[in-house]
Amino acid sequence: MSAQVARISVEGATKRFAAGNVTVFDGLDLAVRDKEALCILGPSGCGKTTLLRSIHGLVRLDDGRIVIDGADVVAPRRNVAMVFQHFGLMPWKRVHQNVAYGLELARLPAATVRERVGRYIEMVGLHGFENSYPHQLSGGMQQRAGLARALAVEPDILLMDEPFGSLDALTREILQDELLRIYQERPRTMVFITHSIEEAIAIGDRIVVLSARPSRVREIIAVDIPRPRTVAKVIAHPRFVELRDRCWRLLREAAA
Amino acid sequence: MTIREAQSQVVQAQRRRLFRPRAGDWAVRLGAIGVFLLIWEFLAPGWNPLIIRPPSAIARAFVDLTESGELQTALVISMRSFSAGLAIAVVLGVFLGIVTGRWRTAFNALDPLVSAFYSVPSVALIPLIGFIFKFQGETPRIAAVALFCIFPVLINTQQGVRNVDRGLLEVARAFNTSERRLWTDVIIPSSVPFVLAGIRLAIGRGLIGMIVAEFFIGLVGLGYLIIQYGNVFRIDRMFVPIITVAALGIISMGFVQWLEGRVAPWLRREQ
Repeated sequence: MSAQVARISVEGATKRFAAGNVTVFDGLDLAVRDKEALCILGPSGCGKTTLLRSIHGLVRLDDGRIVIDGADVVAPRRNVAMVFQHFGLMPWKRVHQNVAYGLELARLPAATVRERVGRYIEMVGLHGFENSYPHQLSGGMQQRAGLARALAVEPDILLMDEPFGSLDALTREILQDELLRIYQERPRTMVFITHSIEEAIAIGDRIVVLSARPSRVREIIAVDIPRPRTVAKVIAHPRFVELRDRCWRLLREAAA
Repeated sequence: MTIREAQSQVVQAQRRRLFRPRAGDWAVRLGAIGVFLLIWEFLAPGWNPLIIRPPSAIARAFVDLTESGELQTALVISMRSFSAGLAIAVVLGVFLGIVTGRWRTAFNALDPLVSAFYSVPSVALIPLIGFIFKFQGETPRIAAVALFCIFPVLINTQQGVRNVDRGLLEVARAFNTSERRLWTDVIIPSSVPFVLAGIRLAIGRGLIGMIVAEFFIGLVGLGYLIIQYGNVFRIDRMFVPIITVAALGIISMGFVQWLEGRVAPWLRREQ
């Protein structure tokens, strides 16, 4: 590890479910550096989502602790925002109201809310759809709104829970490129959960491969593909195949 | 996830549906009613006039009862108790539905009572209501309507509050919601369609309650007109209050549907 400071540190995190019968992860340690894009890759059911939810203080750990900026996480923090796999848009709010949601809850002045809503709707390419209801939008556009809602609070840390997992392949790649562009414009600490190896390589500076339940960090792989990236460029990069094979082998071991 | 799934199911159902609304629909509907009335008109003279009267006679009776003011007087009396009873049921039902939907203790305390009252046919309780309110004035009739209306509102509201999408609750928590904003942003809007569906059901039941109460408790209003003209075999006049009640039901439900479009525009069907 370089001299960079850990922005998020997970120390000995343990979580059990179903009256203690299922141990999701046990003594898991992880450090996320400032402004890095960290992808967490693991077989399904390995507790990736639970880990992310604990980082945001939505789930209480049974043992161990999670520290962000030197303070123990006990509840969701204002400088952390989350993007959900299920989008999590309120069907009764129009796009601009959904994007304004976090800003309103943070009690920002109306003028600031208006300015940021406009700016982030523009940034994710939803201009012209401000007044649509979520069900009038395609899945990809709904997740653009979900992304704008998270970005609008201008968080220091962005938590992404398989945000593109439920989209079709084409839309997924378009949104991955959008995310890469947005990250490039303003790098910030990002924890990105995925079960797609290609996605992890395209997005991440480092990839954490988890083992099967009870999960631990199996290995951390540095992605030495330079930015600015696009998905197409990453896939065409000479390092890509080797990285993919390594992730693939680790995942196969974990799943077995 | 559940709301999105439900919505996509609705969309799919709409796509699958054989009959999409078309311009000619209304012509067919009105035409069918016209044909039905015509057949009735021509066949009626062959029957005993004590049992069947033609639509034209009913139309004349409608004019007679309107000119004498009998119908209006009865309608005002019936609508007063109906609207008062429905309003009480909606306020009380929504309140109890929210309380029991959100707090386990309240649910456990009230659920046995609600189930018990809901499984007894409400009609069976009409005489009891008469006794409780001493058969005096409109209070027992309002109570009867409220009794008939409250359960669908209460149970639907409760379901609405309990069926709030867990994903959205988590989103709200992730964005640091306050308890008040949790209600206004998530719980109340997601319950609105359930509450309105409950009110639609309540309208149908409330009209039954209204008429039955007028039969057995008050002897006033549209219910009394039905009994009165039935007893003297004026079938033509008896039909007037019956048709009026039907119209009352259709208009009230149409109003709720209109209201749904206003307060829950996100449910408005596309295309």
